[in-house]
Amino acid sequence: MKMTEYISRLRDYFIVEQKHHEFRQPATDCRQMAKVWRQQKLSDLQRATKRLVWMLEQEKPVVLKDETIALLRTVPAIPEIFTEEEFEAIRKEHYIHERGKVCNVNPLYSQLIDVGFDRKKEQLRDLIADNELKQDTDAVEFLSCCLELLGTIEQFAERYREEARRVGNRTVAEAFAHIPQQPPRTFSEALQFFRLIHYCLWASFNYHNTVGRFDQYMFPYYDRDIKNGTLTHDSALELLEEFFISFNKDSDLYTGMQQGDNGQSMVLGGLDQNGKETYNELSDLCLQASLELKLIDPKINLRVNKKTPLSAYERGTHLTKQGLGFPQYANDDIVIKALKRWGYSDEDAHNYVVAACWEFIIPGAGMDLPNINGLSFPMAVTEMVGHLEEFDTFEDCLAAVKENIFQEAERLCGSVHNLYMEPAPFLSLMMLDCIENGKDISFGGRYNNFGLHGSGLSTAVDSLAAVKKYVYDDASVSKKELLKLLENNFAGNEELCTKLRFSSDKMGNDNDEVDEIAVKLLGWFADALDGKQNERGGIFRPGTGSAMYYVWQSENLMATPDGRKQGEEFACNYSPSLLARCDGPFSIIKSFTKPDLVRVCNGGPLTIELHDTLFRNDDSIRKVAMFVKTFIDLGGHQMQINAVNREKMLDAKKHPEKYRNLIVRVWGWSGYFVELDDVYQDQIIKRMELMM
Amino acid sequence: MSRGTVFDIKQMAVFDGPGIRTTVFLKGCPLRCQWCHNPEGLESFPQLMVSHHACIRCGRCEAVCEHPDGCMNCFACVDVCPLQLRKIAGTVYTDEALAKILLKNQDILRMNGGGITFSGGEPLMQAGFVLDVIDRLEGMHTAIETSGYCKADIFQRVVNRLDFIMMDIKLIDPERHRHFTGVDNRLILENLERLKGTGKPFVIRVPLIPGVNDTEENLTATAKLLIDVESLQKVELLPYHQTAGAKYEMLGKEYSPEFDTAREVSAMQSCFESFGIPCTVL
Repeated sequence: MKMTEYISRLRDYFIVEQKHHEFRQPATDCRQMAKVWRQQKLSDLQRATKRLVWMLEQEKPVVLKDETIALLRTVPAIPEIFTEEEFEAIRKEHYIHERGKVCNVNPLYSQLIDVGFDRKKEQLRDLIADNELKQDTDAVEFLSCCLELLGTIEQFAERYREEARRVGNRTVAEAFAHIPQQPPRTFSEALQFFRLIHYCLWASFNYHNTVGRFDQYMFPYYDRDIKNGTLTHDSALELLEEFFISFNKDSDLYTGMQQGDNGQSMVLGGLDQNGKETYNELSDLCLQASLELKLIDPKINLRVNKKTPLSAYERGTHLTKQGLGFPQYANDDIVIKALKRWGYSDEDAHNYVVAACWEFIIPGAGMDLPNINGLSFPMAVTEMVGHLEEFDTFEDCLAAVKENIFQEAERLCGSVHNLYMEPAPFLSLMMLDCIENGKDISFGGRYNNFGLHGSGLSTAVDSLAAVKKYVYDDASVSKKELLKLLENNFAGNEELCTKLRFSSDKMGNDNDEVDEIAVKLLGWFADALDGKQNERGGIFRPGTGSAMYYVWQSENLMATPDGRKQGEEFACNYSPSLLARCDGPFSIIKSFTKPDLVRVCNGGPLTIELHDTLFRNDDSIRKVAMFVKTFIDLGGHQMQINAVNREKMLDAKKHPEKYRNLIVRVWGWSGYFVELDDVYQDQIIKRMELMM
Repeated sequence: MSRGTVFDIKQMAVFDGPGIRTTVFLKGCPLRCQWCHNPEGLESFPQLMVSHHACIRCGRCEAVCEHPDGCMNCFACVDVCPLQLRKIAGTVYTDEALAKILLKNQDILRMNGGGITFSGGEPLMQAGFVLDVIDRLEGMHTAIETSGYCKADIFQRVVNRLDFIMMDIKLIDPERHRHFTGVDNRLILENLERLKGTGKPFVIRVPLIPGVNDTEENLTATAKLLIDVESLQKVELLPYHQTAGAKYEMLGKEYSPEFDTAREVSAMQSCFESFGIPCTVL
């Protein structure tokens, strides 16, 4: 299948040529409104409300003549609600997570789409009346803000309707004559409704606005139109592709922690509470749309389990071939078990989705902060190595590392005090219990758990394996010598550094003795957080992700016993070290499924790079799919595969140290890409150009 | 107990037989095909391979070298390279040791309809070793990628023990075969007849070399040998790729084929398909 001519034209307009940027207005000072609101003595909740009102008022509706799903951001900068001094004062009193905004949650879009604003406003008015009787002024203020926002959004939609009528776009005009006041009549209107909500979330300065289980909450609209004959497979796909493009129209303006990090994660399939697979026709269409469009948003996650047929993995692998780095796979067998163990209800656990990156969260119910901090495993090791001479046996070393992990976990848990987030009244409308309780989501939701990443695991494991082998087993390096070498960044004994770097005793080689250390480290991380409570009554969840911690925590860390020099990066997420030459993909998945992943399931995938010649034909794609299925069947929790493509190769040329395991295959020919001569590297890169 | 020399063991081979597999590359080959892409598989002894590309010229290898006038494959320089750019192509294993490595992933291989593939080099040059390894593989699916160039009794003995055969037919014309591969093709063609007689499932592979064998005449002649052979699953055409020469420099060899490496090959599947033989291009 190929994109239709219409989609291809839209893709060119918005993605390739970015012609819509011409409608963008000049950026304004993002603190300007805060000064006004301070003078007006508005509360933070009122300011957050005024922010969205201001944004929508500034917006100039832009409707293309033949588009079906409209809305374009033309105001580039969103106002902050506090002046700099005000925010500094808040910072002194409070723990501020990232930018201090509610982010990285999955709102229940259907709470607005299925109901329509008219009924929602009615509900809000009733609640306001109740709370007035109870004289709960905070609740009244909050609910009034929600009510005001719905009205504002309706006016904004009305302006879009007028503009659509002016340019002669009947589809968009008719949609906005009906939504958002009423629930959508068609799949098309439902998508436009989603776009409106999502647009308003971004304009509210909420970010990492995940998409969640789109194939579930949108299915009724799709199904109704298919059944009544107004939608066909092909027209649904075209509509969906236009909708997918909308995620990429304004994404360069979206707030994130780094460019492109916008967290528009979509989750497809998954088991329901009766153990039934929920993957449906719409899920399939989503995969197909993503496959044809080759756009980085929305980012696709597939929920799988032991019973998932190979054909599902095959569909996913066809998408992997596009080199976008997704789908990411999450294993229901492990994740649901983990969430229930952490106290999530059976229903909620079965409904899990993926946050911006990998963390597992619950739609509507989770105000979890799954990335609140990160524990550095290598640091726990270097601190131990500093006292190496005190330890008679390797077991003593391990005991010290355990102690360090416990201490660091204690410190990280204790560092979150008096958390403050800016109110998010519009988002609260889609989070469970918020309006019923008259409380903004920024105060917490049904679940308020904090997640800690565990970064640099493989570096720590390899380092301990090296200490065991060279210091204790062979005694070929004295404790003093090793310590001195590490302090001097291996100066004076490069030979030993080489030996350590290229030792085969590394995590990823299916070596039980080495992997056992990983089992222990992750186990201790879980032990250290077990029973700890955060200030919101939630727990701390350990995970195998790294976020950016693998860079931040490695930058200043001294040399490590695995031959890593000072400042060299750890591997990203749950992956073999960049120094490890692994025996192959089988050994890697075996090593990485040995730890008890149920206990460290905050999120964080095993990341594997495969050369895209492995994706050459349907038969080989089926075999890559088998490989992914094998990881899941062996009890892996989450996996992300990169089909390494031209861009990666170019990067590999510049930064060979990051791509040591990258294998290039042509028939039976195989070798490490980074070791090839320039001329051959260039040829492979060129060949990829031909392939695309 | 026997010993064999192996230059690579690759996990997750997806083009070397059914399912996902581990492929063992055995060292030593009687042919000298001008297009050979695994030159470290030609000699039967372990050899030094150096990747010059990332070399930082630290001089440590030169400092330990005792044979500056010509490498004797003493490998003294291998461990001193800080970037591990020097490697020994060729590790000697006992049948027991190799089988142990291969069996380690038998769960994964069996789960996925796969097994072990012997490749090379020419694995039949170490036929005794291959048979001894197979004895220890606990009934795992086994396959071979072979040039078919070996004595009849050896060929027959090994094929009888394998589950799946991938065999090359490079050129039909004996003179050209001698010219481009260094050996006569009589043994190969005789072994093809033997293979057809065993009824073992097999695939014929034709590396398509520009101007050498990618002619209608050669491909049609190849096809004629394969008409109505039930055990033949398909013919796979493997177009020549310029990266074939990449490893020669690493071995201190020169890559200087007579054919035009830059020319496009013609993959004429129709030569086979017109006789009802399934044919794919890899």
